[in-house]
Amino acid sequence: MPARFARSTVIFVALVAAWEFVGHLPVTGVRVVPPPSAILAQYVADWDIYVAHVTATIHNAAIGFICGNAVAIAAALLFCRFPMIERILHGVNVVIFALPMIVIGPVLVLVCNEGVPQIVLAAIAVYFPTMAATLVGLRDVDPRLVDVIATYGGGPTAVMRFVRLRGALPSLLAGLKIAASLSVLGAILGEFGSGERWGLGTYLLGSLSQADSARLWGISIAAGGLAMAGYGALSLLGRQLLGATLSVTLAANRLPDQIASGDIPATRRVLIAAVAVVLPFLLWGGVLQVLSLSPIIAPGPIDTFRYLFVDPGAEAARATLARALGQTLPVAGLGLAVGLVAAFVLAAAAVLTPRLTKTVLPVALVLQSTPLVALTPLALLLFGRETAAATALAVVIVFFPGFVILSQGFAQVPKAATEIVTVYGGGPVRSLVMVSLPYATPYLFAAAKLVAPRALLGVMVAEWLLTGKGLGNLLDFSRASLDYGMVWSGAVASVAVAVAVYVAIATLERAVRSDL
Amino acid sequence: MALSRLKRRPDAEAGVIAGSVTTDIAIDHVSKAFSGAHGRVVALDNVALDIARGGFVAIIGPSGCGKSTLLRLVAGLELPDAGAVLVRGEYPEQFRRRGELGIVFQDPALLPWRTVARNIALPLQVLGRSARRYRDEIAVLIELVGLAGYADALPGQLSGGMRQRVAIARALVTEPSVLLLDEPFGALDQILRRSMNVELQRIWMQRRATTLLVTHSIDEAVFLADEVVVMHARPGRIAEVATVPFPRPRSPALFGSPEFHQICDQLAASLFSRED
Repeated sequence: MPARFARSTVIFVALVAAWEFVGHLPVTGVRVVPPPSAILAQYVADWDIYVAHVTATIHNAAIGFICGNAVAIAAALLFCRFPMIERILHGVNVVIFALPMIVIGPVLVLVCNEGVPQIVLAAIAVYFPTMAATLVGLRDVDPRLVDVIATYGGGPTAVMRFVRLRGALPSLLAGLKIAASLSVLGAILGEFGSGERWGLGTYLLGSLSQADSARLWGISIAAGGLAMAGYGALSLLGRQLLGATLSVTLAANRLPDQIASGDIPATRRVLIAAVAVVLPFLLWGGVLQVLSLSPIIAPGPIDTFRYLFVDPGAEAARATLARALGQTLPVAGLGLAVGLVAAFVLAAAAVLTPRLTKTVLPVALVLQSTPLVALTPLALLLFGRETAAATALAVVIVFFPGFVILSQGFAQVPKAATEIVTVYGGGPVRSLVMVSLPYATPYLFAAAKLVAPRALLGVMVAEWLLTGKGLGNLLDFSRASLDYGMVWSGAVASVAVAVAVYVAIATLERAVRSDL
Repeated sequence: MALSRLKRRPDAEAGVIAGSVTTDIAIDHVSKAFSGAHGRVVALDNVALDIARGGFVAIIGPSGCGKSTLLRLVAGLELPDAGAVLVRGEYPEQFRRRGELGIVFQDPALLPWRTVARNIALPLQVLGRSARRYRDEIAVLIELVGLAGYADALPGQLSGGMRQRVAIARALVTEPSVLLLDEPFGALDQILRRSMNVELQRIWMQRRATTLLVTHSIDEAVFLADEVVVMHARPGRIAEVATVPFPRPRSPALFGSPEFHQICDQLAASLFSRED
C-alpha cells in the first residue's frame, strides 16, 4: 500500500509539473491552458465570491437531492408493489429520463417562485437514476425466497419486508452515488437561466464573456470537484453500510426491464400504452391548471399546438424551430456516433490489454459523473465559440459512460466461449473477433440508449453558452425576448426528439435481442 | 407399467398411530399444464398419490416429468387445473398458515445479510412469532445440522454444503409436520451428498415429519425413502410405486449391498421402460 501511495504521489506531482510547464508555453499560451499556479492565485483572489457561489450551489443541490430521492424511492416502492402503475407512468419516466435538462430551466423560471427552479431541476436530475436503481434492486429477488416465504403464508408485503427492502440497498446506494453528482449538474443548469445572484452556474455564465482562463478553469475544477465530492461521499457511505465495495453496476442508468406482460390481455395492453403516451401531456396541462398560470406565460399542450400550427405566425415559428433543429441534431448525431465508436474501439482494445481496463475503467467511472458544465469553459478555451466546441462536448459526455457500459458488455463474455477459440490455437485477436465482438455488440444499443439524450444535452448547453446556434441558443434567445410560445415549443420539441430517439433505439435493441 | 396407487403400510417405522392409517398428504387426481413459448405443456396428467402420516416418500423421474410441480402443488405454490391436494384435510394455502410446512430447494435461498441463526428464524418472523422465544430451539437446530459454532456466520462465509444445512434447519424451525424437499442436495458433489443423506436420515428419525423428497438420484431415493414413486414425462404421470424394505437406521454400508442395488436396478428399469 505505501508503495502504491508513493507511486500515485509521484505521478500526481509529475502531472502538475508538466501542466505548469505547458501553462507557460507560448504556443498554448496562458489564455488556453493556464498553469496551476495561476489558477491557484485566482482562487485566492476570488475566495470570498467562491464561498458564496459554492455555498449556494451546495444548498440547491442538497435540497434537490433530498426531495428528488424521496420521490424516487417512494415511486420505486410503488412501482414494485403495483407494476400496473409503472406501466401507466412509463411515458412520464421516459420523458424524465430523456429530457435535456437545460430546456426546462427557462420553463421553470416562468412557473416557479424565485430560488425554486434550481432546486426543482436538481430534484429532476436525481429522480431517474435513483428510481431506476431502486426498482431494479427491489425486483431482483431470488424466486426461491419468495417461495420460502409463501410456504409460511407470507404474501407480497412479507416479501417486501424481509427480502426486497434490504436486498435493494446496494443498488439504491449505487443509484444515489450517481444521483449525488447529477444533483450538482441539475443545480448548476438551473442557475444558468434563473437570474439568481449566487451559484456556480451564475458565476460561470458571468465569467464566460470575460474569457479569463484562470478563472474559467477554476470554476470548472470547482464544479467538477463538487460533483465528485458528492459521488465520493456516497461511495464512502455505501462502503460503511455494506462492508464491501459496491458492484460496478449501471442499474442507475437504464430503465428497468418491464416484467412480463404475458398475462395481460392485448386490448388492455394497448389501452395502458395509450394512457402512458397521453399522460405526460395531461400532466403538463394539469400542473399548469393547478398553478393557475397565465396561458401567455405558460401555455399548455393545446396552446402550444396552436402556437405552432394555427396562430398567425405559426409558419414562421415552425421555420425557426426547424432551422434550430437542423443545426442541433447533426452535431448531436455526430457527437453520439464518434463518442460511441471511440468507446467501443477502446473497450475492445482493453480486452486485449487487461492493464488498460484496469487504468481506464476507474477513471471513466469517475468521469462519467462529471457534470458537463464543468467542461464547457474548457471547450470554450480550446475550440472557441465554434461548432467544434459543441461536437467535442457531445463526444466527451458520450464517451465515458459509453465506455463503462461497453466494458461491462465485454466483461460478460463467458470465459469458456473464448477458451474454445484458444483450445483450437486461436490467439487473443481471433477470440476477440470471433467471440467477444459479436457478444458485446448488443451492449452498443444499451449504451446508445443511455447516452443519446446526453449528447443532445451537451450540444444544447454548448449552443446556449458558447456557439449561439441551434436549439440551445433558440431557447436562450426566446427567453430573453419574452417569446414564451417559442420557449415552450422549443422545450417540447427537444424533449420529443430525445424521447423519439430513445424509443427508436429501444425498438432496435428489442429486435436485435429477439434474434439472439 | 401399471399405474398403481401407493400402498399404505401399517408400519411402526412410518409412525402410523395404533393400527389406523392417517393420510397426511392426499393428492387427488390432479392435472396441471403450463403455457410456454412452445405451446401448452402438460406437467401433470391425472396424478393420484396418498402419503401416510410420518411416511418418507421419494419421487424420481426424468427432467420435465412434473415431480417438482407435484411438490409445489403440495406447498400451495401452484394451483392444480383439475383435482385437489389436501394436507391434513386442508388446502395447502390454509395449512401452511399454521407454520407446519417446511420446504427446502436445490439452492439454499438464504438472505445474504442475515446470520445463520437469523436465517433460520425467518419462518418464525413471517408467521409473526417472536424469534427470541425460539432462541434455544434454534441453537439446538444448529447443532442438529452440524453447524455448531457458526450461528453468527454469514452465508457468504459458508461452503455450499453448509448453506444447504442452514436451509434444512430453517425448514425444521417451526417443527413442521410436513417436510417438502425439492432436490435438496442436487447442487452438491457425490461425496458430500452421501454424508448429507446419512445426516438427513438422522434428522428425520428425530423429528418424524411426513416427508416428500424429489430427486434425480435413484440411490438417494432408495436410501432415504419408505416408498419410491417413479414418474414418466410428457405428460407427467406416476409409472410405479416401489416399497423399500430396509430397516432404519440405514447405514452408509447399505449403498454397497446387493439388495440395495437390486432395488436400484429395478427402479432404473422402470424409469427407462417408456421413453416417448
